[in-house]
Amino acid sequence: MPGLYRTLKYAAVLLWSAFVVAPLLWALTTSFKTINGVTGGATYIPWLDYKPSLEGWRELFNTSGTGVNIGQPFIDSAIVTLGASAISLVLGTLAAYGLSRFTYRAGFIRNRDIVFFFISQRIMPPIVLAIPFFLMLKFLGLLDSIPGLILVYIALLLPIAVWVMVDFFNNVPREIDEMAMLDGCTPIGAFIRVVLPNSLPGVVVAGLFCIIFGWNDFFFAFTLTFTRTQLLPVAIVALNSTVTPWWSLSASSLISVAPLVVVAFLVEKFLSRGTLAGAIR
Amino acid sequence: MAQITLKQIGHSYSGGTRPGDYALCPLDMTWHDGRTYALLGPSGCGKTTMLNIVSGIVTPSQGRVWFDQRDVTGLPTARRNIAQVFQFPVIYGSKTVYQNLAFPLVCRKWASDRIRRKVGEIADLLDLGAKLGKPARGLTADEKQLISLGRGLVREDVSAVLMDEPLTVIDPQMKFHLRRKLKEINDRFKLTLVYVTHDQDEAMTFASEILVMSGGRVVQSGPPEHLFEFPQTTYVGYFIGSPAMNFLDAEGQGDRAVFAGIPLTTAYPGDRVPQGAIRIGVRPEYLEFVATAGENVLAAMVVDVQDHGGVRIVEVEVGGARVKVKLAREKPVPEGPALLRLPPGKIRLYRDGELVPLD
Ligand SMILES: Nc1ncnc2c1ncn2[C@@H]1O[C@H](COP(=O)(O)OP(=O)(O)OP(=O)(O)O)[C@@H](O)[C@H]1O
Ligand SMILES: [Mg+2]
Repeated sequence: MPGLYRTLKYAAVLLWSAFVVAPLLWALTTSFKTINGVTGGATYIPWLDYKPSLEGWRELFNTSGTGVNIGQPFIDSAIVTLGASAISLVLGTLAAYGLSRFTYRAGFIRNRDIVFFFISQRIMPPIVLAIPFFLMLKFLGLLDSIPGLILVYIALLLPIAVWVMVDFFNNVPREIDEMAMLDGCTPIGAFIRVVLPNSLPGVVVAGLFCIIFGWNDFFFAFTLTFTRTQLLPVAIVALNSTVTPWWSLSASSLISVAPLVVVAFLVEKFLSRGTLAGAIR
Repeated sequence: MAQITLKQIGHSYSGGTRPGDYALCPLDMTWHDGRTYALLGPSGCGKTTMLNIVSGIVTPSQGRVWFDQRDVTGLPTARRNIAQVFQFPVIYGSKTVYQNLAFPLVCRKWASDRIRRKVGEIADLLDLGAKLGKPARGLTADEKQLISLGRGLVREDVSAVLMDEPLTVIDPQMKFHLRRKLKEINDRFKLTLVYVTHDQDEAMTFASEILVMSGGRVVQSGPPEHLFEFPQTTYVGYFIGSPAMNFLDAEGQGDRAVFAGIPLTTAYPGDRVPQGAIRIGVRPEYLEFVATAGENVLAAMVVDVQDHGGVRIVEVEVGGARVKVKLAREKPVPEGPALLRLPPGKIRLYRDGELVPLD
C-alpha cells in the first residue's frame, strides 16, 4: 500500500512539473526557431524538425541602432524593482513593527484600521490610480524617469510589505522584545538586534513579493513612461510588429522570467524552513 | 541585589478606576534583599502584572516602585537590571547558546574576553557548557529555561530575579531536577527572588515567604508555616494545603462553637467566639480517629479512602458534612462508623470568610 501511495505521489508531482515546465520548454524551443520553424505547423525537435537559429536572441541585443535592445530596459527594470523593493521593505518593516507592538488611536481609528488602509491601496483597480499618479509625477517633473517609477512602485509595494510583516510580527511573541529589554536593550535595540534577526524569513517573503510584483508590473511602467525610460515588460511588448516575432518574444520572455527563477532558488530554504517555530518554546 | 518596595502600586489595563477595573489593586509591599518570595494564586489574579510592573514592562497606572533608596518608576526596563524568566522559555532563536548567554553583556559593552570568561562560568553552573556552540532553537524546553535564567545570572548584581511560573512547560521528571537546580543557585547567590507559581509545593520549596493573591489583591503573606496554621481567610485555607482545609458550618453559642448540635471546645478565649453563624476550619492533618467518645469527638462514617503512597486521605461524613482526614500510612484506617476528634488547639473560627483572631 505505501508503495502504491508513493507511486501515485510521484505521478502527481511529475504531472504537475510537466504542467509548469512545458510552457517554458515551448518558449525555449521557439526562441531558437526562425519564421519557417513557426509558421509551418508545430515543430519540436531542433535539427530534426527545424533548423535552430540564434536570430531571435540576436534581435534582442541589437546595438546597430535600427533594431531593439532590451539590455537597457533590463537594467532599468532591475534598478526600479530593487530600489523600490528595498525602500518598501525598510519602511514597511518599521511600520509593521509599530503597528504590531504599539497601540495607536486617532478618533475611531485603531491599528487594525490602519493596516486595512494599507491593504486597501491594493484593492483599487490600477486604472483608478493611473491619472493621479500621472498628474503627481508631472507636477514633480518625474514623468518618464527612473526616480518617478521608483516612487510609484513604492506606493504599490509598501502595502504588501506592511501586510506581510504585520502578520509576521504579530506571530513573534512579545516576550522576545520584553526579554531583550530586560537584557539591557532599548526598544529600538530590541527590534534591531533581536526581533529583526528572528524575523528574517518574514522579511525574505515580503521582499520576494515586492520583487515579483515590481518586476512584473506592466501597467504603470507603460502609462508613466514615453521615450526616455523603458522597463522590460514594456520593451518586450514593443517588440511586437505586423509579423509577430515569436522567436524574439520567446527569448525575451525567458530573459524576463530568469531573474525571478534565480531569486526563487535563492530564498527557497527560507520559505520551506519553519524558522519561526523555534523562536519561542 | 536590592530591596524592592512597592508604594500604593495599582494597575488597570483599561485605564478605568472603578474597583472592578484593576488587574492589581493598589497595594504596599516590600521585598527584602536576599530573600525568596512565592506569589501564589489562581489564573488571572494579577501575579504577572505585579512582576511586570517591577521589571518595567508594564507601567503602573498609579503608585511608585523603589529599588533600595531609588525611585525607579520612570526608568525603562533596560536600566532596572532585573532578570526575569517567563512561563514559556524565551530564547533568541537566531543566536547560538553562547550568543544568547552573552547578549546582556554585549548590550553592556563588556570586553569580549571578559564576556567569554563569565559566560563560561555560568554555563558550567547550569550544565550548558557542552552546548555553547549549538543553535539555541534546537534545545529542549528545560534547557531553554536555563538559558533564560542564565541571561539573568551572567549580569553583575541584578536587582532581583523574577520567575513567572518557570516550570509550567517542563516535563515532570525534568521539573524535579530543574527545581533543585534553581534552589541550589538561589542558596548560592542569595538572590532576591520572586517566584510565581500555581503550585504550592513549588512555593514551599523556594520561599521564605508566601504571598497568596486573589482578584488583584494580596490576601495574606507570611512564612509557609504561618499560612498553613492560620489562614487569614477561608480562601487561603482552600488554597494552601493539600487536601484543602476542612470547613464546617457551625454556630457560636457562648464560648463554644456548636456543630451538628454538639458544642466544641476551642483554643479561643470565651469572649472571642463570635455569636451566630460561623465556620469551623480544621486541617485534614490534625483530625484524628479515636477509640472512645470524649471532648470534641464526633460520630463519623468513613465513605472513601485514597492511597497517596506515604499518606492516606480518608473521606468521612460527619454531621451531614464531608471532611477529609490525612493519615500517615502506618496509622490504621477505620471502616464504616468511626469516632473523629477535632483537637481544640487546631480549630480556627471564620466569620464571613475571615479568620477570627485568636488573641
Ligand atoms: N495586556 C493586557 N491587557 C489587558 N488585560 C490584561 C493584560 N494582561 C493581563 N490582563 C488582565 O489582567 C488580569 C491579571 O492578569 P495577570 O496576567 O497578571 O494574571 P496572572 O495571575 O499572571 O495569571 P496566570 O496565572 O494565568 O498567568 C487578568 O484578568 C487579565 O485578563
Ligand atoms: Mg501570569
